[in-house]
Amino acid sequence: MTPVIRARGLVKDYGPVRALRGVDLEVHPGEVFGFLGPNGAGKSTTIRLLVDLLRPTAGTVEVFGLTPAAGGAELRMRIGYLPGELAFPARLDAGEYLRHLAALRGGRGRPRIDELAQRFSLDLSRPLQALSKGNRQKVGLVQAFMHEPDLLVLDEPTSGLDPLLQREFRLLAQKSVARGATLFLSSHMLGEVEEVAGRVAIIREGRVVDVDDVRALRARAGQQVLLRFAEPVSLAEFDSLPGVQDAVLDPSDGVSLSCLLRGDPMPLLLAAARHRVVRWQVQDRELEDLFLDFYRAPDRTPPRDSATSGPAGTETGTETGTEKEAAR
Amino acid sequence: MTAREGGRATTAPAGTVLTGVLRTRRRSLVLWAVAVSAVATLYTAFYPSIGGDKMAVMMQSMPPGFITAMGFDSISTAAGYVSSTVYSLLGAILTLVCAIGLGARLIAGDEEDGTLELELSAPVSRLQLYLERLAVLWVGVLVLVVALSTVLAVLSVLLELELSPVNLIAAGTGLLLFGGALGTVAFATGAATGRRGTALAVSAAAAVVAYLLSYLGPLVDAPWMEDLSPFHWYIGGRPLSTGFDWSGLGLLAALALVAALGGAASFTRRDLMV
Repeated sequence: MTPVIRARGLVKDYGPVRALRGVDLEVHPGEVFGFLGPNGAGKSTTIRLLVDLLRPTAGTVEVFGLTPAAGGAELRMRIGYLPGELAFPARLDAGEYLRHLAALRGGRGRPRIDELAQRFSLDLSRPLQALSKGNRQKVGLVQAFMHEPDLLVLDEPTSGLDPLLQREFRLLAQKSVARGATLFLSSHMLGEVEEVAGRVAIIREGRVVDVDDVRALRARAGQQVLLRFAEPVSLAEFDSLPGVQDAVLDPSDGVSLSCLLRGDPMPLLLAAARHRVVRWQVQDRELEDLFLDFYRAPDRTPPRDSATSGPAGTETGTETGTEKEAAR
Repeated sequence: MTAREGGRATTAPAGTVLTGVLRTRRRSLVLWAVAVSAVATLYTAFYPSIGGDKMAVMMQSMPPGFITAMGFDSISTAAGYVSSTVYSLLGAILTLVCAIGLGARLIAGDEEDGTLELELSAPVSRLQLYLERLAVLWVGVLVLVVALSTVLAVLSVLLELELSPVNLIAAGTGLLLFGGALGTVAFATGAATGRRGTALAVSAAAAVVAYLLSYLGPLVDAPWMEDLSPFHWYIGGRPLSTGFDWSGLGLLAALALVAALGGAASFTRRDLMV
C-alpha cells in the first residue's frame, strides 16, 4: 500500500540556513501520526513542503505517491490543512470566509460548515478580525475538516482551545479516522497528541531523531515524582529501586525525596508505604525533558529498558500535571 | 482513492479566487472611485470660470518652458484643460497610487500578513491564483476609469465642454492601460519577491522615472526620453483631443504583458510564505 506521506532525505534551506537536514518519514493510510519537536525544529517547514508552499532543496517528499508540486490542486483537494499561524482577510465574517474556502474546494464542504461550527460553538456571523485566538483556531479547524479530506495536516491543532473544545477536536479526529482518513498532527507538546496519535516522530534540529509508539514514548519520558515523609528517610532505600532514577533527598530536612520514575510505579510505592507519606506529587515530563535525555545519555538515546512497562506505567501518565496530596 | 471524487469538481472553479478577493476589496475600491471622480469633478467644474480666454491670458504670463513641461500647450481648450488637470495630473496620480498599492498588496501584501496561506493550500493551482488576483487588479483599475469617464461625460454635457465621447473612451483606455501596466509591475514584482515593500519601491520608481522622462524630454530636446516613458505612451498622443494612440496603447499593453509573464514564471516556482 502506498504510504500517505513518504519523505526521503528531505533537505530544505532558507538561504544559508538549513532548516531540514534530511528528514525521513513514512505515514501509513488510516493512522494518526504525531509530529513532535520544539519550536524551530522544522515541523512547519516539513508541513509546508507537504502542501506545496515550499519546494525541497534536496531529497523527495510524496503525498499519496505524488510530489506535492506534481499533484498540484487535485492533490490539495484531498488534503485538509491547518496552518500553525492563522491569518484572515479583513472585512469578512467567519461564515462568508468559510463559504469562500468551500467554494475554492469546488463547493465541497459547504454543507458541513454549519454542523462543524455548531460542534465548536463558533458564531459564523462574527467578523474575522474580531475573533479571539480560540475562535480563530475554530475557523481554521472547520476549514480543514469540512471537505472530508483523505489526509489532514494539522499544525498545532488544539493551541488556543479550552479543554472542552480539545475534546471536541479529538472526537472529530476519531470520526475522521473512522471514515478512513489519515491524520498528521504537529505539536511541541507530547500531551497535545498523545490521546489521539498512534505513532509519533520526534524532530530536532531538522532531523527525525526517533519514531515510536506514543505510549512507549510516554513511558520513556517518565514522571517527576516528589515525596514528602513525616520523618527522615534514607536515600539508599529508594535510589536503587527499579524504574527510579536521579533520586535526591533534600539535605536540609531529610524528608523530601525527588526522583524520576520510568515504568512500573509499584516498587517505589511499596518502598514509600513503609513510611508515613505526607505529600505525593507526580508530574508528567514534557518533550523538552526528553530532549535533555538525548543530550545526556552517552549513546544519545534514552534508556529503553523501561519502555516496555505495562499498563500501570501508562495509567499514571494520563494524570497530566496533577498533584495528589496525601490526606493527613 | 480518487474514485470518491465522483463527477464533482476536483479543483476550484474559475473565478472563485477573483470573486473572493473582490469581496474583501470592494469597499476600498468604491472609495477610490469616489475620490477620483470627486477630484475630476472639482477640476472640471472650474473650467467655465477660468477656462477659455482667461486661461490663455494667464498662460502668456508663464515661461514657455514651464508650459511645455506641464503640458499646458493647449490648456485654453476644454479638452486640453481636462487633459492637463485630470488625465495628466491628479487623476493619473490617484489611479497610479491605487493601482500600485493594490498590485503590491494582492500577492506580496497578503503573503506577508499570512492571509494568502489558506488560499494557496486550497485546491487552486498557483497559476490560477496568480491570474485571478491579477484580474482583480485590472477590474479595480477599470472601476476607477469607468467612474472617472462617466463623471467627465456627464460634466461635458452639463458644462457644454464638448468632449468627444470617442476621445473620452480613448483617454480612459489609456489611463486603464497606464494604471494597469504599472499596477502589474507592482503585482509581478510582489509575486516574484513576496515583499510588498520591494513591489512598491520598484513600481513607484518606475512611475517617477516615467513622469520625469516625459517632462524633461521636451525641455532638453531629447525625444528618446519621451519614447521610453510609459507616461508619454499614455498621454503624449493627447487622446482627449486626438483620439486613440494605438502605438502608445500597444506599448503599455506590452509592458503589462511582459511584467505579468515574468511575475508568473517566478511565482509558480518559488517558495511561498517564508
